[in-house]
Amino acid sequence: MNPRQRILLVDDERQITRVLSRGLTAKGYDVHVAADGEVALQTFGDWHPDLVVTDLSMPNLSGLELCRRLRAFSEVPIIVLSVKGEERAKVEALDAGADDYVTKPFGIDELLARIRAALRRVPAETVAENNVLAAGEFRVQLEERKVTIHEKEVHLTPKEYDLLVYFLRHPGKVLTHHVLLGAVWGGDYVGQTEYLRVFIGQLRKKTEADPSSPKYILTEPWIGYRFNPGAE
Amino acid sequence: MWTALARKKLLGYVVAVVVIAAATAVLRIFGGQINPTTVALALLLLVLFVATAWGPKPAVLASLLGVVCFNFFFLPPVHTFSISEPENWIALVAFLITAFTVGQLSAHAQKRAAEATAARQEVERLYHELQSSFEQASQAKAVKQSERLKSALLDAVTHDLRTPLTSIKASVTTLLDDQNLVSTGGVTTRLGEDGRQEMLEVIDEEADRLDRFIEGLMELARIEAGDLQLRRHWGSLEEILRAALKRAEPRTRQHTIELKFSDALPAVNVDEPALVEVVYVLLDNAAKYSAPGSTIRIAAMQDDQNQVLLSVEDEGPGIPAKLRERVFDKFYRATRETGGRQPAGTGMGLAIAQGIIEAHEGRIWIEAGGGGRGARFVVTLPHVSDKL
Repeated sequence: MNPRQRILLVDDERQITRVLSRGLTAKGYDVHVAADGEVALQTFGDWHPDLVVTDLSMPNLSGLELCRRLRAFSEVPIIVLSVKGEERAKVEALDAGADDYVTKPFGIDELLARIRAALRRVPAETVAENNVLAAGEFRVQLEERKVTIHEKEVHLTPKEYDLLVYFLRHPGKVLTHHVLLGAVWGGDYVGQTEYLRVFIGQLRKKTEADPSSPKYILTEPWIGYRFNPGAE
Repeated sequence: MWTALARKKLLGYVVAVVVIAAATAVLRIFGGQINPTTVALALLLLVLFVATAWGPKPAVLASLLGVVCFNFFFLPPVHTFSISEPENWIALVAFLITAFTVGQLSAHAQKRAAEATAARQEVERLYHELQSSFEQASQAKAVKQSERLKSALLDAVTHDLRTPLTSIKASVTTLLDDQNLVSTGGVTTRLGEDGRQEMLEVIDEEADRLDRFIEGLMELARIEAGDLQLRRHWGSLEEILRAALKRAEPRTRQHTIELKFSDALPAVNVDEPALVEVVYVLLDNAAKYSAPGSTIRIAAMQDDQNQVLLSVEDEGPGIPAKLRERVFDKFYRATRETGGRQPAGTGMGLAIAQGIIEAHEGRIWIEAGGGGRGARFVVTLPHVSDKL
């Protein structure tokens, strides 16, 4: 039997951690609770969780700062909990490396689905071992720069190719405009969301069956995009 | 057709003729007893009257008519237009010039006065215009400010409402999820009896928290609308303190409470439940912001200005001087700036306490605690000594 997956739950609202730790434990996860970012960092070092769920507004060390500190040494999946009205903090947390977000109030099923998706994500390095990046219906031969979807070859411009490869390396993760622009075009372009929108449009035309209701490159309104590689 | 203005002008000439004629007639009746100087002065007075009331042109007519009458009826030889004495010629010419000048001067002054009135009215009109535009501008500014404040408050309220809602929603969905497991063939629930119990407790507690928050909002709205109806009675401060202590007991259980009352506490004329609320807020606050096991000191006395002075002091981290006013703002919590733990308060307690104390014409403020540690909340209430 697999060892139970470990989740570190970080929130200063005791009632929320009470409920979530019960709920997640009942689903077979091993849960530790930290009431602020500082305690979370300590627990993280001692306990090595597989996933971190953190609130954004906390005393001592905020959720945003926790994301930054964790990303300095770890690729652990991070899901942030935010309240509507904390949009900026949420985007900053995603820019700082958080993988996903859930908006309060939420149902336990929604959180569980996000947790499962985040834990399923396989680190990109292991996939790309034999120069092939594959996820769902997508397959990219890195050396030949050859892209196939459903075993059908697709021709992409160099930038479209870079964008798709970046998506493939981060399946399921919410990628902010800022992060995508910085990764594909470089730091000078991070404000040019219009630019990104045009390329996403082109990429959708070449990859989606119905570009007006995409199923691979999903829009996260005002935040960025999430790549869903399709059937597992 | 005569216009009103023309009619008024004509009336001026008619009056000029009638007045001079009538005066001449009256003066003639008294005949011999009146010397020509008196007659001249009386006629001059009438010219002045005509000039003041009807302007320069009727005044000229009155002057000429006056000269004719003066000459004909009063300067010897009377009933002729000839003048025998040379000095009477001088008198006649002097009368003519004086009457004419007086008439013109008076009319001129009249015109000036009218102009001044018009100018003053214009200035007043401009002033009112300016004032109303100023008022509109400052109203617009106030509206803008209050809009900003409203949106900040809305953010705070939203956060305070969503937090308990999040716990409730997560609990309920966890319970539902668990319930579905049972109905789809699972024999026992994964959550277990303890887990289900805990979920239900959270829902219960968080529903109460929402209710307290809404209660606080209502009370604050009443205070802000100036709608706080105080039912003031003369009562004992000590009883009020005891009632508040009893109510706060579940919250202060882990703290040591130290009471210091002066022997003869005066009676206070207050709304007792409202004042109990204030003391409760202060005790709750002290317990929240200081470590379990520390001491909360409550003191009550009469000061030398015939006021009742009440203080609640904790051994917590204290409140920096620059934040001591702001903590009375609604939804403000000191921990956001000082980096301490965020207690589960509504952020409204102190705003409500301040509202109640101010409605009693009292004051509430914060000092550093004894020895510079902790926070001391001080309340003063005016008290009238001749009662009880």
